[in-house]
Amino acid sequence: MTHPMNSAAAICGLGITAMGRVYRDADDLAAEAVYLAIEDAGLKKSDIDGLLINAGVGNAVSIPLHISLGLQELNVLTFMQGYGSSAGQMIQYAAMAVANGLANYIVCVFADAPLLEGQRTGAAYAGGGRRNAMGSLYPLYGFAGALPMYALAAQRHMDLYGTTQEHFAEIAIGQRKWAAMNPAATKREPLDLAGYNASPWVVEPFHVLDCCLVSNGGVAVIVTSAERARDMKQPPVYVRGFAQAHGHDAGMSNQDAAIHTPAARSAPRALTMADAKLSDVTQCQIYDCYTYTVIVTLEDYGFCKKGEGGQFIADGKLSPGGALPTNTGGGELSSYYMWGMTPVAEAVIQGRGQGGARQAKNDLILVSGNGGVLNYHATLVLSPEAA
Amino acid sequence: MTKSPSWLPAPDDSNLPFFEGAKEGRLRLQRCNDCSAWMFPVRVRCQSCGSTNVKWADASGRGTVYTHARLQREYHPRHSGRLPLVMVQVDLEEGVRVNTNLIDCDPEKVKAGMSVQVAIEHSPSGEAVVVFRPA
Repeated sequence: MTHPMNSAAAICGLGITAMGRVYRDADDLAAEAVYLAIEDAGLKKSDIDGLLINAGVGNAVSIPLHISLGLQELNVLTFMQGYGSSAGQMIQYAAMAVANGLANYIVCVFADAPLLEGQRTGAAYAGGGRRNAMGSLYPLYGFAGALPMYALAAQRHMDLYGTTQEHFAEIAIGQRKWAAMNPAATKREPLDLAGYNASPWVVEPFHVLDCCLVSNGGVAVIVTSAERARDMKQPPVYVRGFAQAHGHDAGMSNQDAAIHTPAARSAPRALTMADAKLSDVTQCQIYDCYTYTVIVTLEDYGFCKKGEGGQFIADGKLSPGGALPTNTGGGELSSYYMWGMTPVAEAVIQGRGQGGARQAKNDLILVSGNGGVLNYHATLVLSPEAA
Repeated sequence: MTKSPSWLPAPDDSNLPFFEGAKEGRLRLQRCNDCSAWMFPVRVRCQSCGSTNVKWADASGRGTVYTHARLQREYHPRHSGRLPLVMVQVDLEEGVRVNTNLIDCDPEKVKAGMSVQVAIEHSPSGEAVVVFRPA
Protein backbone atom coordinates (compact mmCIF):
# COMPACT_ATOMS: atom_id res chain seq x y z
CA MET A 1 0.00 0.00 0.00
CA THR A 2 1.31 3.42 -0.93
CA HIS A 3 2.24 5.60 2.02
CA PRO A 4 -0.23 8.52 2.26
CA MET A 5 2.65 11.02 2.17
CA ASN A 6 4.29 9.47 -0.91
CA SER A 7 3.75 12.15 -3.59
CA ALA A 8 1.24 14.09 -1.50
CA ALA A 9 3.33 17.26 -1.82
CA ALA A 10 5.65 18.81 -4.36
CA ILE A 11 8.17 21.62 -4.66
CA CYS A 12 6.83 24.26 -7.04
CA GLY A 13 9.16 27.22 -6.51
CA LEU A 14 12.88 27.87 -6.07
CA GLY A 15 14.71 31.10 -5.36
CA ILE A 16 18.49 31.43 -5.14
CA THR A 17 20.20 34.78 -4.50
CA ALA A 18 23.72 35.76 -5.51
CA MET A 19 26.19 33.73 -3.42
CA GLY A 20 29.54 34.40 -1.78
CA ARG A 21 30.91 37.72 -0.61
CA VAL A 22 27.56 39.45 -0.87
CA TYR A 23 27.72 41.96 1.97
CA ARG A 24 24.06 42.30 2.79
CA ASP A 25 21.91 41.54 5.82
CA ALA A 26 20.83 37.90 6.08
CA ASP A 27 17.22 39.08 6.59
CA ASP A 28 17.33 40.89 3.25
CA LEU A 29 18.95 37.93 1.48
CA ALA A 30 16.13 35.77 2.89
CA ALA A 31 13.52 38.22 1.61
CA GLU A 32 15.07 38.29 -1.85
CA ALA A 33 15.17 34.47 -1.99
CA VAL A 34 11.47 34.37 -1.09
CA TYR A 35 10.53 36.89 -3.81
CA LEU A 36 12.62 34.95 -6.34
CA ALA A 37 10.87 31.70 -5.39
CA ILE A 38 7.40 33.29 -5.69
CA GLU A 39 8.25 34.62 -9.15
CA ASP A 40 9.79 31.29 -10.16
CA ALA A 41 6.60 29.48 -9.12
CA GLY A 42 4.37 31.92 -11.00
CA LEU A 43 2.57 32.82 -7.78
CA LYS A 44 1.59 36.12 -6.21
CA LYS A 45 2.81 37.12 -2.79
CA SER A 46 -0.78 36.96 -1.57
CA ASP A 47 -0.85 33.24 -2.43
CA ILE A 48 1.76 32.52 0.24
CA ASP A 49 0.09 31.33 3.44
CA GLY A 50 2.96 29.54 5.13
CA LEU A 51 6.53 30.45 6.06
CA LEU A 52 9.18 28.25 7.65
CA ILE A 53 12.45 29.98 8.52
CA ASN A 54 15.93 28.61 9.23
CA ALA A 55 18.93 30.81 10.00
CA GLY A 56 22.58 29.83 9.63
CA VAL A 57 25.58 30.42 11.84
CA GLY A 58 24.92 34.17 11.92
CA ASN A 59 21.46 33.41 13.34
CA ALA A 60 20.18 36.67 11.87
CA VAL A 61 16.87 35.62 10.30
CA SER A 62 13.82 34.98 12.41
CA ILE A 63 10.07 35.30 12.71
CA PRO A 64 9.99 39.05 11.88
CA LEU A 65 10.98 38.09 8.32
CA HIS A 66 7.24 37.86 7.62
CA ILE A 67 7.00 41.57 8.41
CA SER A 68 9.92 42.40 6.10
CA LEU A 69 8.03 40.45 3.46
CA GLY A 70 4.64 41.97 4.20
CA LEU A 71 3.10 38.54 4.73
CA GLN A 72 0.24 39.28 7.07
CA GLU A 73 -2.19 36.42 6.57
CA LEU A 74 -0.18 33.30 7.23
CA ASN A 75 -1.68 30.02 8.39
CA VAL A 76 1.71 28.48 9.18
CA LEU A 77 4.72 30.36 10.56
CA THR A 78 7.64 29.16 12.60
CA PHE A 79 11.41 29.28 13.01
CA MET A 80 13.13 25.92 12.77
CA GLN A 81 16.61 24.75 13.67
CA GLY A 82 18.23 21.42 12.97
CA TYR A 83 21.52 22.85 11.65
CA GLY A 84 22.44 21.20 8.35
CA SER A 85 19.36 18.98 8.50
CA SER A 86 17.03 22.00 8.69
CA ALA A 87 16.32 22.40 4.98
CA GLY A 88 15.21 18.78 4.66
CA GLN A 89 13.22 19.09 7.87
CA MET A 90 11.40 22.24 6.74
CA ILE A 91 10.32 20.56 3.51
CA GLN A 92 9.08 17.53 5.48
CA TYR A 93 6.96 19.62 7.86
CA ALA A 94 5.73 21.76 4.98
CA ALA A 95 4.75 18.63 3.02
CA MET A 96 2.74 17.31 5.96
CA ALA A 97 1.08 20.71 6.45
CA VAL A 98 -0.01 21.17 2.82
CA ALA A 99 -1.13 17.54 2.58
CA ASN A 100 -3.38 18.08 5.58
CA GLY A 101 -4.83 21.40 4.58
CA LEU A 102 -3.07 23.67 7.05
CA ALA A 103 -1.81 25.87 4.23
CA ASN A 104 -1.59 25.86 0.43
CA TYR A 105 1.81 27.35 -0.39
CA ILE A 106 4.53 27.17 2.25
CA VAL A 107 7.83 28.94 1.70
CA CYS A 108 10.87 27.32 3.34
CA VAL A 109 13.75 29.76 3.53
CA PHE A 110 17.38 29.72 4.66
CA ALA A 111 19.72 32.70 4.59
CA ASP A 112 23.02 33.54 6.19
CA ALA A 113 25.69 36.22 5.94
CA PRO A 114 28.65 35.07 8.05
CA LEU A 115 31.23 36.69 5.76
CA LEU A 116 32.10 40.19 6.88
CA GLU A 117 33.93 42.69 4.72
CA GLY A 118 37.66 42.62 5.44
CA GLN A 119 37.44 39.44 7.53
CA ARG A 120 39.00 36.11 6.61
CA THR A 121 36.70 33.33 5.49
CA GLY A 122 37.92 31.04 8.27
CA ALA A 123 36.78 33.46 10.95
CA ALA A 124 33.14 32.96 10.03
CA TYR A 125 32.77 29.49 11.50
CA ALA A 126 35.63 29.50 14.03
CA GLY A 127 33.51 29.97 17.15
CA GLY A 128 32.21 27.19 19.32
CA GLY A 129 33.34 24.85 22.04
CA ARG A 130 31.63 24.85 25.36
CA ARG A 131 33.52 27.34 27.43
CA ASN A 132 33.53 25.43 30.65
CA ALA A 133 36.05 23.12 32.32
CA MET A 134 37.93 21.31 29.55
CA GLY A 135 35.82 23.21 27.03
CA SER A 136 37.57 26.41 28.01
CA LEU A 137 40.80 24.76 26.90
CA TYR A 138 39.53 24.11 23.38
CA PRO A 139 41.29 27.10 21.78
CA LEU A 140 44.57 25.91 23.34
CA TYR A 141 44.01 22.41 21.99
CA GLY A 142 43.04 23.70 18.54
CA PHE A 143 39.35 22.77 18.70
CA ALA A 144 37.51 25.60 16.93
CA GLY A 145 34.15 25.00 15.29
CA ALA A 146 33.12 21.84 13.49
CA LEU A 147 36.15 21.44 11.23
CA PRO A 148 38.51 19.62 13.63
CA MET A 149 35.72 17.30 14.71
CA TYR A 150 35.10 16.20 11.12
CA ALA A 151 38.87 15.86 10.56
CA LEU A 152 39.03 13.60 13.61
CA ALA A 153 36.13 11.54 12.29
CA ALA A 154 37.79 11.21 8.88
CA GLN A 155 41.07 10.07 10.46
CA ARG A 156 39.28 7.31 12.36
CA HIS A 157 37.83 6.08 9.06
CA MET A 158 41.38 6.07 7.64
CA ASP A 159 42.76 4.19 10.68
CA LEU A 160 40.01 1.56 10.70
CA TYR A 161 39.45 0.97 6.99
CA GLY A 162 42.48 2.23 5.10
CA THR A 163 40.60 5.12 3.50
CA THR A 164 43.17 7.37 1.84
CA GLN A 165 43.81 11.04 1.18
CA GLU A 166 43.24 10.24 -2.50
CA HIS A 167 39.71 9.14 -1.70
CA PHE A 168 38.98 12.54 -0.15
CA ALA A 169 40.69 14.17 -3.14
CA GLU A 170 38.40 12.27 -5.53
CA ILE A 171 35.35 13.84 -3.85
CA ALA A 172 36.79 17.37 -4.14
CA ILE A 173 38.02 16.89 -7.72
CA GLY A 174 34.87 15.12 -8.95
CA GLN A 175 32.57 17.79 -7.56
CA ARG A 176 34.70 20.51 -9.13
CA LYS A 177 34.03 18.88 -12.49
CA TRP A 178 30.32 19.28 -11.87
CA ALA A 179 30.82 22.89 -10.71
CA ALA A 180 32.53 23.72 -14.00
CA MET A 181 29.14 23.08 -15.64
CA ASN A 182 27.20 25.18 -13.13
CA PRO A 183 27.19 28.90 -13.99
CA ALA A 184 26.08 29.70 -10.42
CA ALA A 185 29.00 27.86 -8.76
CA THR A 186 31.59 29.91 -6.87
CA LYS A 187 34.61 27.73 -7.75
CA ARG A 188 34.64 26.56 -11.37
CA GLU A 189 38.34 26.41 -12.28
CA PRO A 190 39.61 22.87 -12.95
CA LEU A 191 41.13 20.95 -10.04
CA ASP A 192 43.48 17.97 -10.21
CA LEU A 193 45.28 15.87 -7.60
CA ALA A 194 48.33 18.15 -7.63
CA GLY A 195 46.11 21.16 -7.04
CA TYR A 196 44.33 19.36 -4.21
CA ASN A 197 47.63 18.35 -2.60
CA ALA A 198 48.92 21.91 -2.91
CA SER A 199 45.93 23.20 -0.96
CA PRO A 200 47.12 24.13 2.57
CA TRP A 201 46.40 21.84 5.49
CA VAL A 202 43.96 23.16 8.07
CA VAL A 203 43.55 20.23 10.42
CA GLU A 204 45.20 17.21 8.84
CA PRO A 205 43.78 15.04 7.18
CA PHE A 206 41.85 18.03 5.79
CA HIS A 207 43.22 20.47 3.28
CA VAL A 208 41.34 23.71 2.67
CA LEU A 209 39.80 21.95 -0.35
CA ASP A 210 38.28 19.24 1.87
CA CYS A 211 36.12 21.94 3.45
CA CYS A 212 32.95 23.57 2.20
CA LEU A 213 32.90 27.16 1.08
CA VAL A 214 31.56 29.88 3.33
CA SER A 215 28.85 31.86 1.57
CA ASN A 216 26.54 34.77 2.13
CA GLY A 217 23.21 34.25 0.40
CA GLY A 218 19.68 32.92 0.63
CA VAL A 219 17.66 30.03 -0.81
CA ALA A 220 13.89 29.52 -0.67
CA VAL A 221 11.68 26.72 -1.91
CA ILE A 222 7.88 26.62 -2.05
CA VAL A 223 6.03 23.45 -1.08
CA THR A 224 2.45 22.84 -2.16
CA SER A 225 0.10 19.90 -2.59
CA ALA A 226 0.84 17.53 -5.48
CA GLU A 227 -2.57 18.40 -6.91
CA ARG A 228 -1.81 22.14 -7.01
CA ALA A 229 1.72 21.60 -8.31
CA ARG A 230 0.53 19.72 -11.38
CA ASP A 231 -0.59 22.77 -13.36
CA MET A 232 1.88 25.42 -12.32
CA LYS A 233 4.55 27.39 -14.13
CA GLN A 234 7.37 24.97 -13.28
CA PRO A 235 7.50 21.19 -13.63
CA PRO A 236 6.62 19.73 -10.21
CA VAL A 237 9.25 17.96 -8.15
CA TYR A 238 7.33 15.46 -6.04
CA VAL A 239 8.25 14.63 -2.48
CA ARG A 240 8.15 10.86 -2.66
CA GLY A 241 9.54 10.03 0.74
CA PHE A 242 11.31 11.46 3.75
CA ALA A 243 12.67 10.70 7.21
CA GLN A 244 14.91 12.08 9.93
CA ALA A 245 17.27 10.61 12.50
CA HIS A 246 18.97 12.42 15.36
CA GLY A 247 20.52 11.94 18.73
CA HIS A 248 24.22 11.14 18.85
CA ASP A 249 26.16 12.32 21.89
CA ALA A 250 29.78 12.87 20.89
CA GLY A 251 30.76 13.09 24.57
CA MET A 252 30.06 9.44 25.36
CA SER A 253 32.47 6.69 24.41
CA ASN A 254 29.80 4.02 23.89
CA GLN A 255 29.03 5.38 20.42
CA ASP A 256 31.27 5.15 17.36
CA ALA A 257 29.86 8.48 16.22
CA ALA A 258 32.67 9.24 13.76
CA ILE A 259 31.81 6.19 11.70
CA HIS A 260 28.15 5.30 12.27
CA THR A 261 25.90 8.29 11.69
CA PRO A 262 22.12 8.73 11.99
CA ALA A 263 21.96 8.65 8.17
CA ALA A 264 21.80 4.86 8.48
CA ARG A 265 18.43 5.09 10.25
CA SER A 266 17.06 7.86 8.04
CA ALA A 267 17.48 6.69 4.44
CA PRO A 268 15.78 3.27 4.71
CA ARG A 269 12.66 4.84 6.17
CA ALA A 270 12.61 7.58 3.51
CA LEU A 271 12.93 4.95 0.76
CA THR A 272 10.19 2.83 2.33
CA MET A 273 7.85 5.82 2.26
CA ALA A 274 8.82 6.35 -1.39
CA ASP A 275 8.14 2.67 -2.10
CA ALA A 276 11.60 2.54 -3.65
CA LYS A 277 14.85 0.63 -3.32
CA LEU A 278 18.34 2.04 -3.15
CA SER A 279 18.99 0.59 -6.61
CA ASP A 280 16.17 2.80 -7.97
CA VAL A 281 18.13 5.95 -7.05
CA THR A 282 19.53 7.62 -10.18
CA GLN A 283 21.37 10.51 -8.55
CA CYS A 284 22.31 11.82 -5.10
CA GLN A 285 22.60 15.26 -3.57
CA ILE A 286 24.63 14.54 -0.45
CA TYR A 287 25.40 17.13 2.22
CA ASP A 288 29.13 17.74 1.79
CA CYS A 289 30.33 20.07 4.53
CA TYR A 290 33.59 18.09 4.22
CA THR A 291 34.74 15.49 1.68
CA TYR A 292 34.51 12.77 4.32
CA THR A 293 30.82 13.52 4.93
CA VAL A 294 29.99 12.26 1.43
CA ILE A 295 31.85 8.99 1.95
CA VAL A 296 30.35 8.22 5.36
CA THR A 297 26.84 9.18 4.24
CA LEU A 298 26.94 6.96 1.14
CA GLU A 299 28.07 4.08 3.37
CA ASP A 300 25.34 4.70 5.92
CA TYR A 301 22.79 5.00 3.11
CA GLY A 302 23.81 1.47 2.13
CA PHE A 303 25.40 2.06 -1.27
CA CYS A 304 28.38 0.02 -0.06
CA LYS A 305 29.50 -1.79 3.08
CA LYS A 306 30.70 0.18 6.09
CA GLY A 307 34.34 1.04 5.55
CA GLU A 308 34.29 0.58 1.78
CA GLY A 309 33.15 4.12 0.93
CA GLY A 310 36.59 5.23 -0.20
CA GLN A 311 36.96 2.37 -2.64
CA PHE A 312 33.33 2.79 -3.71
CA ILE A 313 33.86 6.34 -4.96
CA ALA A 314 37.45 5.88 -6.20
CA ASP A 315 36.44 4.96 -9.76
CA GLY A 316 34.83 8.36 -10.29
CA LYS A 317 31.25 7.07 -10.18
CA LEU A 318 30.05 10.27 -8.52
CA SER A 319 31.58 12.50 -11.22
CA PRO A 320 30.15 13.55 -14.60
CA GLY A 321 29.58 10.41 -16.68
CA GLY A 322 29.76 8.17 -13.60
CA ALA A 323 27.24 5.54 -12.52
CA LEU A 324 25.93 7.52 -9.53
CA PRO A 325 25.95 11.25 -10.34
CA THR A 326 26.30 13.04 -7.01
CA ASN A 327 26.38 16.72 -6.05
CA THR A 328 25.84 17.70 -9.64
CA GLY A 329 26.00 21.44 -8.99
CA GLY A 330 29.43 21.19 -7.36
CA GLY A 331 28.02 20.84 -3.86
CA GLU A 332 28.98 22.82 -0.81
CA LEU A 333 32.64 22.24 -1.66
CA SER A 334 32.54 24.07 -4.99
CA SER A 335 29.19 25.80 -5.63
CA TYR A 336 28.04 27.56 -2.46
CA TYR A 337 27.31 26.72 1.19
CA MET A 338 23.71 27.28 2.23
CA TRP A 339 23.61 24.40 4.72
CA GLY A 340 20.99 21.83 3.62
CA MET A 341 19.58 24.15 0.96
CA THR A 342 22.62 23.49 -1.26
CA PRO A 343 21.67 19.85 -1.95
CA VAL A 344 17.95 20.67 -1.93
CA ALA A 345 18.24 23.46 -4.50
CA GLU A 346 20.31 21.32 -6.87
CA ALA A 347 17.81 18.47 -6.46
CA VAL A 348 14.98 20.80 -7.50
CA ILE A 349 16.92 22.00 -10.57
CA GLN A 350 17.73 18.40 -11.51
CA GLY A 351 14.21 17.18 -10.76
CA ARG A 352 12.80 19.76 -13.17
CA GLY A 353 15.30 18.76 -15.86
CA GLN A 354 16.79 22.26 -15.78
CA GLY A 355 20.39 21.20 -15.15
CA GLY A 356 21.60 22.11 -18.64
CA ALA A 357 25.03 20.67 -19.38
CA ARG A 358 25.11 18.98 -15.98
CA GLN A 359 21.65 17.40 -16.16
CA ALA A 360 21.78 13.82 -14.86
CA LYS A 361 19.20 11.05 -14.90
CA ASN A 362 16.59 12.33 -12.48
CA ASP A 363 14.04 9.51 -12.02
CA LEU A 364 14.74 9.26 -8.29
CA ILE A 365 16.86 11.76 -6.39
CA LEU A 366 18.17 11.01 -2.90
CA VAL A 367 18.89 14.15 -0.88
CA SER A 368 20.66 14.31 2.47
CA GLY A 369 20.95 16.96 5.15
CA ASN A 370 23.50 16.62 7.93
CA GLY A 371 23.93 18.82 10.98
CA GLY A 372 26.20 19.18 13.99
CA VAL A 373 29.11 16.76 13.81
CA LEU A 374 27.29 13.95 12.02
CA ASN A 375 24.58 14.27 14.72
CA TYR A 376 21.41 15.37 12.94
CA HIS A 377 20.08 13.96 9.70
CA ALA A 378 17.25 14.45 7.23
CA THR A 379 16.61 12.53 4.00
CA LEU A 380 14.35 13.44 1.09
CA VAL A 381 13.42 11.30 -1.90
CA LEU A 382 12.39 13.55 -4.81
CA SER A 383 11.21 12.77 -8.32
CA PRO A 384 9.68 14.44 -11.39
CA GLU A 385 7.13 11.60 -11.36
CA ALA A 386 4.48 11.05 -8.72
CA ALA A 387 4.04 7.55 -7.29
CA MET B 1 58.90 42.22 33.77
CA THR B 2 55.23 41.89 32.99
CA LYS B 3 53.51 38.61 33.51
CA SER B 4 52.56 36.69 30.34
CA PRO B 5 48.92 37.20 29.47
CA SER B 6 46.67 34.35 30.56
CA TRP B 7 46.02 31.65 27.99
CA LEU B 8 42.84 30.65 29.73
CA PRO B 9 39.56 32.26 30.66
CA ALA B 10 39.32 32.63 34.44
CA PRO B 11 37.64 29.62 36.07
CA ASP B 12 34.09 30.16 37.30
CA ASP B 13 31.89 28.37 39.84
CA SER B 14 30.87 25.78 37.26
CA ASN B 15 34.39 24.55 36.58
CA LEU B 16 36.66 25.57 39.46
CA PRO B 17 37.06 21.97 40.73
CA PHE B 18 38.40 20.94 37.33
CA PHE B 19 41.11 23.61 37.40
CA GLU B 20 41.94 23.03 41.08
CA GLY B 21 42.36 19.34 40.26
CA ALA B 22 44.64 20.12 37.33
CA LYS B 23 46.93 22.12 39.64
CA GLU B 24 47.37 18.93 41.66
CA GLY B 25 47.97 16.85 38.51
CA ARG B 26 44.54 15.25 38.59
CA LEU B 27 41.80 14.93 35.98
CA ARG B 28 38.47 15.76 37.57
CA LEU B 29 35.13 15.09 35.94
CA GLN B 30 31.57 15.22 37.15
CA ARG B 31 29.88 12.09 38.39
CA CYS B 32 26.32 11.34 39.38
CA ASN B 33 25.96 10.49 43.09
CA ASP B 34 22.78 8.53 42.40
CA CYS B 35 23.57 6.33 39.39
CA SER B 36 27.39 6.68 39.35
CA ALA B 37 27.51 7.74 35.66
CA TRP B 38 30.39 10.00 34.65
CA MET B 39 29.76 12.99 32.40
CA PHE B 40 31.50 15.44 30.12
CA PRO B 41 31.34 18.35 29.51
CA VAL B 42 29.99 20.22 32.55
CA ARG B 43 26.34 19.54 33.27
CA VAL B 44 23.87 20.38 36.01
CA ARG B 45 21.79 17.25 35.53
CA CYS B 46 22.86 13.65 34.98
CA GLN B 47 22.24 12.59 31.38
CA SER B 48 21.58 9.00 32.45
CA CYS B 49 19.12 9.26 35.35
CA GLY B 50 18.18 12.93 35.46
CA SER B 51 19.49 13.49 38.98
CA THR B 52 20.90 16.90 39.92
CA ASN B 53 22.97 15.24 42.64
CA VAL B 54 26.16 15.66 40.62
CA LYS B 55 29.61 15.95 42.19
CA TRP B 56 33.19 16.35 41.00
CA ALA B 57 35.39 13.29 41.36
CA ASP B 58 38.90 12.21 40.37
CA ALA B 59 38.94 10.22 37.14
CA SER B 60 41.51 7.53 36.44
CA GLY B 61 43.24 9.63 33.80
CA ARG B 62 43.61 6.48 31.72
CA GLY B 63 42.09 5.89 28.34
CA THR B 64 42.57 5.07 24.67
CA VAL B 65 42.73 7.23 21.57
CA TYR B 66 39.34 7.16 19.82
CA THR B 67 40.69 9.24 16.97
CA HIS B 68 43.28 11.89 16.21
CA ALA B 69 44.13 14.74 13.82
CA ARG B 70 46.92 17.26 13.39
CA LEU B 71 46.41 21.00 13.79
CA GLN B 72 48.36 22.74 11.01
CA ARG B 73 47.38 26.38 11.59
CA GLU B 74 48.29 28.57 14.54
CA TYR B 75 45.61 30.69 16.10
CA HIS B 76 46.53 30.61 19.78
CA PRO B 77 49.90 31.51 21.39
CA ARG B 78 50.26 27.92 22.60
CA HIS B 79 50.31 26.63 19.01
CA SER B 80 53.42 28.66 18.17
CA GLY B 81 56.31 26.41 17.12
CA ARG B 82 54.31 23.29 17.96
CA LEU B 83 52.66 22.42 14.66
CA PRO B 84 51.57 19.84 13.86
CA LEU B 85 49.85 19.73 17.23
CA VAL B 86 48.22 16.35 17.83
CA MET B 87 44.52 16.67 18.60
CA VAL B 88 42.86 13.61 20.06
CA GLN B 89 39.56 12.36 21.32
CA VAL B 90 40.30 10.10 24.28
CA ASP B 91 37.88 7.44 25.50
CA LEU B 92 38.41 7.43 29.26
CA GLU B 93 37.96 4.30 31.33
CA GLU B 94 35.02 6.12 32.91
CA GLY B 95 33.05 5.93 29.63
CA VAL B 96 33.29 9.54 28.51
CA ARG B 97 35.07 10.89 25.46
CA VAL B 98 37.17 14.05 25.90
CA ASN B 99 38.74 16.39 23.34
CA THR B 100 42.37 17.20 24.13
CA ASN B 101 45.97 17.10 22.88
CA LEU B 102 48.50 14.27 22.89
CA ILE B 103 52.04 15.39 23.72
CA ASP B 104 55.42 13.59 23.77
CA CYS B 105 54.52 11.53 20.72
CA ASP B 106 55.44 11.15 17.05
CA PRO B 107 52.41 12.60 15.24
CA GLU B 108 52.82 10.06 12.44
CA LYS B 109 52.66 7.11 14.85
CA VAL B 110 49.46 7.98 16.69
CA LYS B 111 46.72 5.44 16.00
CA ALA B 112 43.16 4.82 17.10
CA GLY B 113 43.20 2.46 20.07
CA MET B 114 46.53 3.64 21.50
CA SER B 115 46.73 3.72 25.34
CA VAL B 116 47.20 7.17 26.85
CA GLN B 117 47.29 8.80 30.28
CA VAL B 118 46.66 12.27 31.62
CA ALA B 119 49.56 14.73 31.81
CA ILE B 120 49.85 18.33 32.96
CA GLU B 121 51.51 21.10 31.00
CA HIS B 122 52.11 24.59 32.34
CA SER B 123 51.39 27.86 30.54
CA PRO B 124 53.92 30.74 30.69
CA SER B 125 51.79 32.28 33.44
CA GLY B 126 51.87 29.02 35.41
CA GLU B 127 48.38 27.71 34.71
CA ALA B 128 47.97 23.93 34.65
CA VAL B 129 46.75 22.63 31.29
CA VAL B 130 45.37 19.09 31.16
CA VAL B 131 46.72 17.10 28.21
CA PHE B 132 47.48 13.42 27.53
CA ARG B 133 50.63 11.47 26.67
CA PRO B 134 51.22 7.90 25.50
CA ALA B 135 50.87 5.47 28.44
